[in-house]
Amino acid sequence: MSISTRFWGFFGRNSAKPETDARCAGLGILVAFLAPALLFYAGFAIYPVIRTIYNSFHAIKPHGVVEFVGVSNFTTLLFADATFWKAVGNTALFTIVATILDVFGGLLLALCLFARAPFAGLLRVVWFTPVLMSYVVVGVIWVWIYDYDWGLANAILRWLGLGAFEQSWLGHPSTALWSVLGAHVWKWLGFNMIVFLAALYALPGEVLGAAELDNCGWVAKLVYIIVPMLRATIVNLLVLSFIGKMMVFDLIWIMTGGGPLWSTETVSTYVYKRAFEWNTFDLGYPSAIAVLWFVIILAFIAVMTQLLRQRDKLEF
Amino acid sequence: MVAGMRFGFEQIRRLPLALFVLLYTVVTGGPFLWVATMSLRTTSEIFKDPYGYPSPAHWEKFADAWTKSNYHTYFWNSVVVVVIAVALVTVIGAMAAHCLARYRFRGNRLMRFLILSGLVLPPQLLILALFQILLDVNLYNTLTGLVVVYVATHIAMTVYILEGFFMQIPQDLFDAARMDGYSDFEIFWRVTMPVGAPAIFTTVTLNFIILWNEFLFAVVLLTDDDKRTLPLGIMHFMGSHQLDVGMVATGLMIAILPVILIYGFFSETMIKGMTAGAVR
Repeated sequence: MSISTRFWGFFGRNSAKPETDARCAGLGILVAFLAPALLFYAGFAIYPVIRTIYNSFHAIKPHGVVEFVGVSNFTTLLFADATFWKAVGNTALFTIVATILDVFGGLLLALCLFARAPFAGLLRVVWFTPVLMSYVVVGVIWVWIYDYDWGLANAILRWLGLGAFEQSWLGHPSTALWSVLGAHVWKWLGFNMIVFLAALYALPGEVLGAAELDNCGWVAKLVYIIVPMLRATIVNLLVLSFIGKMMVFDLIWIMTGGGPLWSTETVSTYVYKRAFEWNTFDLGYPSAIAVLWFVIILAFIAVMTQLLRQRDKLEF
Repeated sequence: MVAGMRFGFEQIRRLPLALFVLLYTVVTGGPFLWVATMSLRTTSEIFKDPYGYPSPAHWEKFADAWTKSNYHTYFWNSVVVVVIAVALVTVIGAMAAHCLARYRFRGNRLMRFLILSGLVLPPQLLILALFQILLDVNLYNTLTGLVVVYVATHIAMTVYILEGFFMQIPQDLFDAARMDGYSDFEIFWRVTMPVGAPAIFTTVTLNFIILWNEFLFAVVLLTDDDKRTLPLGIMHFMGSHQLDVGMVATGLMIAILPVILIYGFFSETMIKGMTAGAVR
C-alpha cells in the first residue's frame, strides 16, 4: 500500500471496504479528485451567476453603493426600453436565419463531399479553416470585404455588371445585420459540414446500397433516407447553433459595434454597452438583461428538445 | 438500360457539383489569399489597385509590424495565459472526470449535474459579476485573473468530453491495478491518463483553440496595453492604424499564419478537437 492511499484512507472509510473493489473510494479520495474542479467552478462560475441574479434586483453604483430596487429593472426593461426590444428583434432574426443557414448549408457542403466530389479529402480540411480563426481576424477581413470603395463585395457586383446594387454594406441600417450574418455563417459553415460528414460516414452502408439497387434517385435518397437517418445530428446541431447565436457578441462588436442606428444591436452587445460604455454606471440593469435572456434561452432549449423528442417518438 | 441512364445522370450531376465545390473553395480561401497579398503591399499600392499581385513583395512589413507595435507582448501574453489555463483545466478536469466515471458514491449524479450545468452557462451571464469579483480579489486587469476565469468557464466541457471517454475504459483494467496494489491516485495517473490520452489530447486541442481566440472575457477583464492578449492586440492595432490598411493586413497575417501552419500539420487532430462536443 502506498503512502498516498494510507494518507487519504485516514480521512475516509476506505479501510471498511474491500481493498480490491476499484469502484469504491474513501471520502478523502473523492474530495481530493473533485475539489479543484468544484472550487474553480463554484468560485468563478456558480458564484458569479448567483451574484448576477442578485445584482439584477439592485442598482449597483460606483464606490460600492448598492440599492435594492425590486423588480424595477425588469419592468423598465420589458415596458420602457425600446433599445432592448430592438436588440431582441435583431437577435431573434439573426439567430433564426443564421441557424438555418448554418445547419442546412453545412449539410449541403457535407453532401457535396460525401458524393465524392473531386479532392474531397483536401477540401474537407480547407473548408474548415475559418472555424479556427478568431472573430477578430474574421471580423476585420469582412469589414474590408464590405468596404464601399475598395471592398470585394462591391468589386464583384461591378464585375458582374450589377454596379447598381453597390452598397455601403455595414454603413446602412438595412443591410448591416445581414452583412454581419453573412460573415458569421462563413465562419461556422465548415463546423456543421464536418459534423454532418462524420454522421454521413457512420450511416449503415447497406441501407444506402439498397436504395441504390432500388434505383432510388439522388433527391429521393436525400429526403427519404439520409435526412431521417441524420435526424439526431440535425437536432443536435440546431440546438447547439441556436444557443451560440442567441449570445452572439464578438463578431458584431468587432464589425459594427451594434450600429448604425441600433440596426445590429444584439442583446449581448447591449448588455456590454449598458455595463461598460454608457455612463449610467449601473451594473444592476445590464445584469437584469443577462438574467432575463438566460431564462429565455433555457426555455427555448427545453421547448426545442421537448418538441423534437416528441416527433422522434411518433416516427420511430 | 437502367445502368446506362444512371451513368448519364451521374455525369451530368458531377459537373455542377464540381463547379459548386470550386466556388465554395474560392469563397473560403479567397479572403485569406487577399489578406496575404495585401500583407506584402503598401497601403498606397493597395488603394491604387486593391487586388493586385504583390510585386515587389514588401517582406520588411512583417518586421515593421512586429517591432513598431506591441505585438510580441500580445503574443507572449496569449501564450502564457493559454498554456497555463489549458494545463490547469486539463489536469483538474481529468481528475474530476475520472472520479465521476470510476467511483460509485452517494452524490455522484448531483456532482455530475452540477459540473455539467456549466455547459449551458453563457459568458454574458457571468461577465458582469466576474468583473466585480475580480476587482474584489485584486485579480482584475491581471493575467492570473484571466487564467482563473478561463479554467472555471471551460471545466464543464472538458469534464463532459473526458467523462464520456473514461466511462468506456474497461473496469477490468482498474480492478487489476487495484489488485496490484496501486493507490487511487496511481490508478488515475498510470491507468486513466495513459489510456485516456486520445481524449485528453482532444480536449487540449479544443481548449487551446477556443482560448487562443477568446475575446469577451479578455476585453472586459484586461485594460493595460501590456496585458493584452493577441485578439485584443489586433483590435488595438486596427484602431491605431485605421487608415493604414496594408499594415493591418500584415498584422492580421501574423495572427493567421501560426494557426494555418499548425493546422497544416495537425489538421485531423484540430478538426476532431473542435467538433468533439458535437459529434457523438
